[in-house]
Amino acid sequence: MPGRLAGRRALVTGGAGGIGLACARRLLAEGAEVVLLDRRADALSSAAGVGAAPVACDIRDPGAVAAAVTRAAGLLNGPADVLVNSAGVYRIAPLLDLTPGEWDDVLAVNLRGTFLAGRAVAAALIAAGRPGAIVNISSTAGLVADAVEPSAHYNASKAGVLALTRQMAAEWAPYGIRANAVCPGVIDTPMLRIMDDPAAGAAYLQAGVPQRRLGSADEVAAVTAFLASDDASYLTGAAVPVDGGATAI
Amino acid sequence: MRAMVTGAARGLGAAIAGRLARDGADIVLLDVSAGVTATAERLARGVGGAGDVGGVADGQVAVGLIADVSDEIACAAAVDRAIHAIGGVDVLVNNAGIGGPDTDVAGTSLAEFRRVLDVNLTGTFLMCRAVATVMIGQGSGGAIVNMGSVFGQQGVARGAGYCASKAGVALLTHSLALELAPHDIRVNTIAPGNMATEMHWDELRSRAALAGTTFDEQVTMVRAAVPLGRHGTGDDIAGTVAWLVSPDASYVTGQTIGVNGGIWLS
Repeated sequence: MPGRLAGRRALVTGGAGGIGLACARRLLAEGAEVVLLDRRADALSSAAGVGAAPVACDIRDPGAVAAAVTRAAGLLNGPADVLVNSAGVYRIAPLLDLTPGEWDDVLAVNLRGTFLAGRAVAAALIAAGRPGAIVNISSTAGLVADAVEPSAHYNASKAGVLALTRQMAAEWAPYGIRANAVCPGVIDTPMLRIMDDPAAGAAYLQAGVPQRRLGSADEVAAVTAFLASDDASYLTGAAVPVDGGATAI
Repeated sequence: MRAMVTGAARGLGAAIAGRLARDGADIVLLDVSAGVTATAERLARGVGGAGDVGGVADGQVAVGLIADVSDEIACAAAVDRAIHAIGGVDVLVNNAGIGGPDTDVAGTSLAEFRRVLDVNLTGTFLMCRAVATVMIGQGSGGAIVNMGSVFGQQGVARGAGYCASKAGVALLTHSLALELAPHDIRVNTIAPGNMATEMHWDELRSRAALAGTTFDEQVTMVRAAVPLGRHGTGDDIAGTVAWLVSPDASYVTGQTIGVNGGIWLS
């Protein structure tokens, strides 16, 4: 929907690839100004080709996040009123092999990073007296367990994002800031592992996904754009699965 | 896009029909009330003013049909007439619904209990069945949106029939989503919270009488429980319907989307 986000200022974390980059493209196409945050400076500069301004930032570091949000406000000529928290890492490890260090690493990016960016952006909006919308990229892994690809740290981080989203929604609703989560299922991105074994992947799609196909990053971005837009004006605190019906089984 | 919207004479249904028309749909409006004809005519002419539901462009079709969705024959006939009027059906929005009797369980008659299930749940099933059959025959996929409620996700004292009907809608949706996915037909539920509709105001009048408060006090109490601090509007629901029936929701099926201002959270 061209123009639906005209005049909006968007910040997309993890914007250099996969779902984050697709979100940035979509927000730009709908008329928003967009700043991309990512830790990977090289990937970020090539991603900037889509028309968004790149800012290098380690999402785990509170000082770096604060500086990046301030820098983004400068680039956008005002505080970001759309935040897409897409920065995330995926790791597979059975619980008995999972080290505390690996646990901390995943939680630091997926959960702590979402908290840090959300808090910094909301604080700036509230100080400016402006409304906004936050979209956190969670996962269906935050809703259901996965015995095939054991990843308790990832699943816990994404379930944590859902609780964090509800709390953001409850605490910031009085300021006109909505917060919602998207829960992608099996999406065709560099993070996807299920298709590494094509036969097993195909069998999973047949049995586990009613629509019997992978989703695309663009399909996640379309839902993200809806949640950021005024079409979702009474939607807050929600978790929206984008999973081809997988969690309906 | 060729769309059918039930319960479209007024309120949420009229807002949904208006939005889909503005998004370019040819549209058939259904309602048990004869007012649906006037709503469709206003839509077709694009007349503004009180009760404005938005206009359609030249060449777009908006037709009103009187039908009781709890009547099997009426549903089948309405779908036949819709195909004749707009050439097929790609989108169905099952919005028709009635409030519960607001009675305690001992004082709820079987007829009252059956009535709310007949309209809200059986009516949704009948329309889904009739339209899904058409969509499968067309072979070009489709999208169905059923209207649940936040009161299909949590119980309410004196609301057993209504809550059960809306919880039923969510699981009906779930099941149909799984069954129809191979035909590329997506089925989702919207669960509105407290909406600024006549149905909700009637409920608050009833509660005010029961609690010995004023209507305005009831409105204030409800509003205070909503984090976004207001009742929802037809446009709030229509925005979510427009998204769910569009390609922007192409990988979303079998879900219940709460449009409730965050009412769940507190």
